[in-house]
Amino acid sequence: MNNYDAIVIGAGNGGLTAATTLQRGGCRTLLLEKHNIPGGCATSFVRGNYEFEVALHQLSGLGTEKKPFIMRKIFTDLGVMEKVEFVQEGELYRIVVPGEFDITLPASWKGLKTVLKAEFLAEQDNIDVFLNLCEQISMESFMALPRARKIGSDEVLKSSCPTFIKYGLVSAKDVLDEFFNDKKIKTVLAAYWCYLGLPPSQIAFSDLAVMIYAYAAFKPWHIKGGSQAMSSALLESFLEAGGDVRFNCAADKILTTTNTDHTSEVKAVRTEHGEVLSCKAVISNASSVLTYNELLDTGQPPVSVQQDFKSREIGTSAFVLYLGLDCTPQTLGITSASNFICSTMDEELMHEQMNKLEPPVATMLTCYNFDDPSFAPEGKSQVSLLCLQYGELWNDVPPDKYAETKYALADKLIEQAEQVFPNIRDNIEEVEVATPLTMMRYLNTPGGSIYGFKQNAQDSNLFRDRIDAVEGLYLAGCWNGMGGFQPTYMAGESAARAVIKQLKQKETANV
Amino acid sequence: MSNTVNPKNNADSTYNVLNSIVGYQEAVADKAQWEKDGSDLIELKGSVDVTVATLHPKRLTLEVSKVIEETPSTKTIRFISTGAPLPPFQAGQYINLFVDIDGVSTARPYAISSACDEKNYYDLTIKRVTDGFVSNHLLDNVSQGQQFLSTGPMGTFYYNPLFHGEDLVFLAGGSGVAPAITMLKDILSRGSKYSFHMIYCNSYIDDLIFINELRSLAEQYPQFRLTEVVSRPPANFEGFKGHLSADLIRNTLGSIENKLFYVCGPTPFNDYCIGQLKSIGVPNKRIRLEANGAPKNPQQLSDWPTTIDAEEVMVTVTGRGSFKAKIGEPLLNSLERNGYSVENACRSGECSLCRVKVISGNVFNPPEAHLRKSDKTFGWVHSCVAYPTEDIEILF
Repeated sequence: MNNYDAIVIGAGNGGLTAATTLQRGGCRTLLLEKHNIPGGCATSFVRGNYEFEVALHQLSGLGTEKKPFIMRKIFTDLGVMEKVEFVQEGELYRIVVPGEFDITLPASWKGLKTVLKAEFLAEQDNIDVFLNLCEQISMESFMALPRARKIGSDEVLKSSCPTFIKYGLVSAKDVLDEFFNDKKIKTVLAAYWCYLGLPPSQIAFSDLAVMIYAYAAFKPWHIKGGSQAMSSALLESFLEAGGDVRFNCAADKILTTTNTDHTSEVKAVRTEHGEVLSCKAVISNASSVLTYNELLDTGQPPVSVQQDFKSREIGTSAFVLYLGLDCTPQTLGITSASNFICSTMDEELMHEQMNKLEPPVATMLTCYNFDDPSFAPEGKSQVSLLCLQYGELWNDVPPDKYAETKYALADKLIEQAEQVFPNIRDNIEEVEVATPLTMMRYLNTPGGSIYGFKQNAQDSNLFRDRIDAVEGLYLAGCWNGMGGFQPTYMAGESAARAVIKQLKQKETANV
Repeated sequence: MSNTVNPKNNADSTYNVLNSIVGYQEAVADKAQWEKDGSDLIELKGSVDVTVATLHPKRLTLEVSKVIEETPSTKTIRFISTGAPLPPFQAGQYINLFVDIDGVSTARPYAISSACDEKNYYDLTIKRVTDGFVSNHLLDNVSQGQQFLSTGPMGTFYYNPLFHGEDLVFLAGGSGVAPAITMLKDILSRGSKYSFHMIYCNSYIDDLIFINELRSLAEQYPQFRLTEVVSRPPANFEGFKGHLSADLIRNTLGSIENKLFYVCGPTPFNDYCIGQLKSIGVPNKRIRLEANGAPKNPQQLSDWPTTIDAEEVMVTVTGRGSFKAKIGEPLLNSLERNGYSVENACRSGECSLCRVKVISGNVFNPPEAHLRKSDKTFGWVHSCVAYPTEDIEILF
């Protein structure tokens, strides 16, 4: 078949939820993927007896069976809830600044409060106020704010979002400074900035607050079989609904027609093999930069896109070691699946270091078999050790110095992690090192970006409308919203809903 | 009028709504400023492809610049690039060489036997094997000036400075010396604190590839020790006669502590070496094994289903066609013979480039298939080591 309602470009998280939503929503959908496997970064790879999770650290938004949250509904709607198993993490994270503190936060809203109060006696009252603020802002962000925007009423906004109005767009740093005196608790509470890629001074407080609240209240999760299991389950669901998929088949061009009013409209996609497949809508899970600069056949991106790009910057990539260790998590001294290890409490410095090809001052270590031993061979451990890093740095590394540079930096990461978990190196059985260029190779993103554009306040949809310069062209993924698993799963789903709505409107108009 | 305002058509009113949020107007002003000063990112056009291709080109365009007779059974074929400069590789890695033989498009991976710092060419050292479809074709037909395509350098069998240490032992069987000599040269270039001990095993003295170069390097560099083992040597042979054994390894090396063992040779040699190393207490994490092709006789493996009596199965490729395949032949090979092209590289179950999804029917996956846990749930297989045991439908 060469004629579809919709074509989805890329089978990453956003592409998979988009395609599945479309097909289950009655649109004849083709999913194109240049690799031979669904998932994009939501994948895993095998070395020896180990299977390594590539990208998922803590899945958010799922909630428990008793207290479900939005992802549980979305996964149910997508028909994958029965196809995968989730593993709940017991802790949010352990954060260690050697010589300063070593604190583990439980994955429980009440427990979080108790632990923080016990650790920071002088800040007890502030902790109450601050955590209430996080909860309030989260509630307002989930429900009241979207409602007030939809209604378009200033009154409603003021009456239903008082906390968001006061603190939502203030920088996370300013809010932490307002409520706390002790630098240590500020560093402890700000740790999730790593999931956004910008330091607390550059992110909106609401983004940090929602992460703290949502992870604690709805728990962080792993997926059995890794994120690849979810990617494969989504594909399965898409195929069961009658969708068509082509692997090893990149989109080469999005073909458009120009209407009489000089607007363009999607009409087809040409594959790398030269086939032209017609469609009424395209959802691109490729980066917006690639979509508009290279895939779109108009030669130059539409003016509104150029304008949008001017206020964006390419976000961070990551440098990751995937370690198969010949010992148990207990032997390594691991007491929480997720760990932040920092040699400073200064997040600005941590961020500056992300712009240098030098040993990082902040690393994250995830042990996947800590909460469920099935994530590694018996008696062994699956660990990822990473630091955020801007990909641009690697452009200047000559190809013949690449391996050397990569190993030198990897060595420093191990050294830093060994300050908290000695004996990592002695237990290495398998190791694979991924640099920002590896991310670029597999994600096809500028700078190897893993979260899309820099996620400052202006990156959010409070400041951006959906780019609709080309009729029928939609984006899914992290380039028109937040990065990470939950946001990209959701972005694909909502792009698909918009397409279904548009196609229905067109149909009605044509009747 | 509906009380629902479409934000797109009423952007101003939406923005007015949000204006009461502290910091909103300032943020809008900042964004407006960036729109004046920022780049439209058009400079990024094509940048990802160019950067990635420098390190990991999908295909290399190669030309044979020289064919070197190494032994009566072995030749080294030297390839230069007719396109972009050859990408760097890690000592021990291979390229997958694409060939057309009698109308069949296939490929085989060969370890690069030239040194990493040799930027102008890759050498592939190829030994004649009984019934070797591609190797024997190359040995018999390749001459200077012929053109080939290959993958970029690949594979996980190489010296890894993060944990391999400084005390290295390479058990090389036959043409397994190809990655060994590259690794040796790489290690020697790293300085004298490293030691490299090669135990080089062959059946006949005529088979010793690179032997003069190896002996001369052993004389020149005290950190390199060469132990030659020949199972059927002439009377005057000075190395070890017979087969490699645990005793021989232990006696030659003394302590095994902190040593890292590389094993590369024909599959029976590899299996044997692993057994011998384990018997003297070498832990898994100190052994690196190079995969070496699909199992030749999967029917003889213990997990092979006993109920099969058919000799052929029907393979259907979703939306494309179907063909008959022999039981016991890797799916990738029968696909290629029937004109289906599947990306591939290691052809040994590891690299996963040849994955296909089994829609229906059963496939036997030997231990060589390094599948993900979810692959088993959702029917993905590595076609290079997947053996259909009944009629199947696949998607790729």
